[in-house]
Amino acid sequence: MMNRQLASAFALLALASPAAAQTINVALNADIRSTNPGVNRDDNTDAVVLHMVEGLVGYRENGAVAPLLAEKVTTSADELTYTFSLRKGVKFHNGVEMTSADVLWNWTRYMEPKTDWRCRSEFDGRIGMKVTSVAAPDPATFVMTLEKPSALFLDTMARTDCAMVAIIHKDSLKQDGSFDRPIGTGPFMLGDWRRGEFVSLKRFDGYASPPGEKRDGYVGRKRALVPEVKFLAIADGATVKAGLISGALHVADIPDADMPEMRKVPNLQVLSAPSATKHALLLQSRDPLLGDVRMRQAIAAALDLDELVAQASNELGTTNNSAVYVSSPYYSEVQRQRYRHDPARVKMLLAEAGYKGQTIKLIANKRSTVPSFPVAIMAQAMLQAAGINSEIEVLEWATQLDRYSKGNYQMMSFSYSARLDPAQSYNQFSGPKDTYPSKAWDSRRADELIEKATVIADEGERQKLFDELHKLMLADAPLIFLYNQVDTAVVSKRLQGFAPWVASKPRLWEVGLAN
Amino acid sequence: MLRFALTRILMSVPTLLIVSVAVFGLIRLIPGDPASLMLGDLATPASIADLQARLGLDQSVPVQFGIWFGNLLKGDLGQSINSQQAVLPLILQRFWISAQIVLVAVALASLVAVPAGVLAAWKQDTSLDLSLVAVATLLLSIPTFWLGLLLLLFFGLKLEWLPVVGYVSIAENPLAGILYLVMPIMTLFLHEIGVILRMARASTLEVLRLDYITHARAKGLTESAVLWNHAFKNAFGPTWTLIGLVLGNLLGGIAVVETVFTIPGLGRLLVDSIFARDYPVIQGCMLFVAFTYVLVNLVIDLCYPIFDPRVTAQ
Repeated sequence: MMNRQLASAFALLALASPAAAQTINVALNADIRSTNPGVNRDDNTDAVVLHMVEGLVGYRENGAVAPLLAEKVTTSADELTYTFSLRKGVKFHNGVEMTSADVLWNWTRYMEPKTDWRCRSEFDGRIGMKVTSVAAPDPATFVMTLEKPSALFLDTMARTDCAMVAIIHKDSLKQDGSFDRPIGTGPFMLGDWRRGEFVSLKRFDGYASPPGEKRDGYVGRKRALVPEVKFLAIADGATVKAGLISGALHVADIPDADMPEMRKVPNLQVLSAPSATKHALLLQSRDPLLGDVRMRQAIAAALDLDELVAQASNELGTTNNSAVYVSSPYYSEVQRQRYRHDPARVKMLLAEAGYKGQTIKLIANKRSTVPSFPVAIMAQAMLQAAGINSEIEVLEWATQLDRYSKGNYQMMSFSYSARLDPAQSYNQFSGPKDTYPSKAWDSRRADELIEKATVIADEGERQKLFDELHKLMLADAPLIFLYNQVDTAVVSKRLQGFAPWVASKPRLWEVGLAN
Repeated sequence: MLRFALTRILMSVPTLLIVSVAVFGLIRLIPGDPASLMLGDLATPASIADLQARLGLDQSVPVQFGIWFGNLLKGDLGQSINSQQAVLPLILQRFWISAQIVLVAVALASLVAVPAGVLAAWKQDTSLDLSLVAVATLLLSIPTFWLGLLLLLFFGLKLEWLPVVGYVSIAENPLAGILYLVMPIMTLFLHEIGVILRMARASTLEVLRLDYITHARAKGLTESAVLWNHAFKNAFGPTWTLIGLVLGNLLGGIAVVETVFTIPGLGRLLVDSIFARDYPVIQGCMLFVAFTYVLVNLVIDLCYPIFDPRVTAQ
């Protein structure tokens, strides 16, 4: 009794404010880098910032692109001009109504080198696509013209790492032009950011939600149902679990291995959804040993992928050897084609390749957010069982990324961030190694197909291209995609309406907290 | 005294210089760079080179060092690559948080461990001595992260007395702030008791065997007079030095404790910066840690004459 009374007293003191009872507390594994959309960023930063800002278009629940600040988007017959009709009544957090002049100002700012926008090279012709002109013919219309047709234009505009080309108010900048704080149009606005501790977002009462009966990715209904959302930076997994169990935290991502334990906690529920993040084993085709495709094929056949995926994902994941994520509209029967575990074929391929028992180094890291290490452990055991010697080299993440960027590895257990359009997904790992040493797949034919897929908008034609790419990739085995990350969140049962989704980022709109 | 202090501070300059050169060079020898980390898996050689140029990392290491050192002489430790904050205010803000925990924990541990160590030495080979040594060894053997988690489970989850995640500044809300600091302080307190108690016991035992203690007893002084007036003052020197070393060490970073209890202190800042290859923050932190270590030990040395009149600050 005494304990409980003390507990209540202390808990009230700890919460420090009555509003805390209606605050959703979300754990992040690290602090955000900035509040400047698409500039100084990482995944955590995008997740938080996209509660405060919005773009003209955004991703739907299934990864398709739909209007967000735009009411509709029309494309000219030559597929060069995109006209965005803006939604009326959309206000910034400072109460000013958004017009096309704001969109124009933002675009100009993003395309200035000094802004350091991550995605400037995606639109200025350096990578391929080039926006040749923009115009705001009237307050409700914004027009963008491309140099060449591009099937990826809207998808790139919606990308989360580009911050959806967020439209912020001019007052987001200081007098000297440097960034101050995001005055966006999102359902939440910035409350307080204590670096290394938390970011607090407050409900924006003047928010104009996009049309829709329910939440739909980053579009659809987006009402803020609670007055405050707090993202807390907590690096230690054990502390996160303690926070969830105690009720101090309402949402957290925890490693798959901890899910069974969390499922047993009465006040918690485990929610999951497949995401577009891809876990893979990279095989360096420029390595003297792995340069032989038979050697790479032998490795692919040596792996019992279903078993590997089950163990690495704690039985949450499903094997997917495709670069297209499982819930994508482009995930066809062809994309389901996969490598088969075949010890007899391994023996034959190893003999043909003249394998003499050389040891293959497999690089992995121990970050809790990816299954790099468990994948490496399982793969090594399976390779060993098939007569292929391998050795795991555990590196710290920055060191592994450096080796990846330079192509300095034999095998690597690696995860690619979510790319929703298949062409973007292939672009992550395919390209000439002489120019881009980090690319895992150096195939001229593949690059031609990907190039076509970035231009052609017709879905049927694109499907054919992606299917051909998949077959080509399986035959060449430059890397072995294992499975798509299952985005799992441990959530308090008090939380109502929360759901993980394909973009692997928490959404706290349309989410309530029961008393 | 003042001259001694100034001489000691001046003597620390070469140490700090060596630390700054070593840290600057070593952190750049580790593979991985901030530009690659910021750009992630879609980085291209061109985009990495572009960002490196904007961050000033495309210049040679000696040139980078020259620029950094020049700014350092003006009291500017640079700007964080990660958060784009000025490094010195960032370090001072985080240091204050760590210092609250460390100073209280070490003070409390000293208050408990020093008398307990002297007592254990006085009652050597009795059950009291054995019990105190056993407890000290146990506390010393438990890793701080494990001890922290045990406290978290017991006081946070089982009893629900203390908050398990988050941090509130004492300046903002004194009572809530203290609640958030109780478990980190307790973790360090328990761990450091083991360290200090063993030293206090060993140094007291050594002194108790000396001839002048036998002489004091032969004069007919009471045991408490022998112990506190004659043995303790001489035995406290090594323990005081150890307290200084412990303090200097802990003020330099209690990253593990800060990580377990989500305290945004200096240790976590340093570890996060190393993972992010945030060079200016790493350099600033290491230099600050070295300076703190030198300063704390200077203070310890200056306090010596208070306990041992044979030692002067000349």
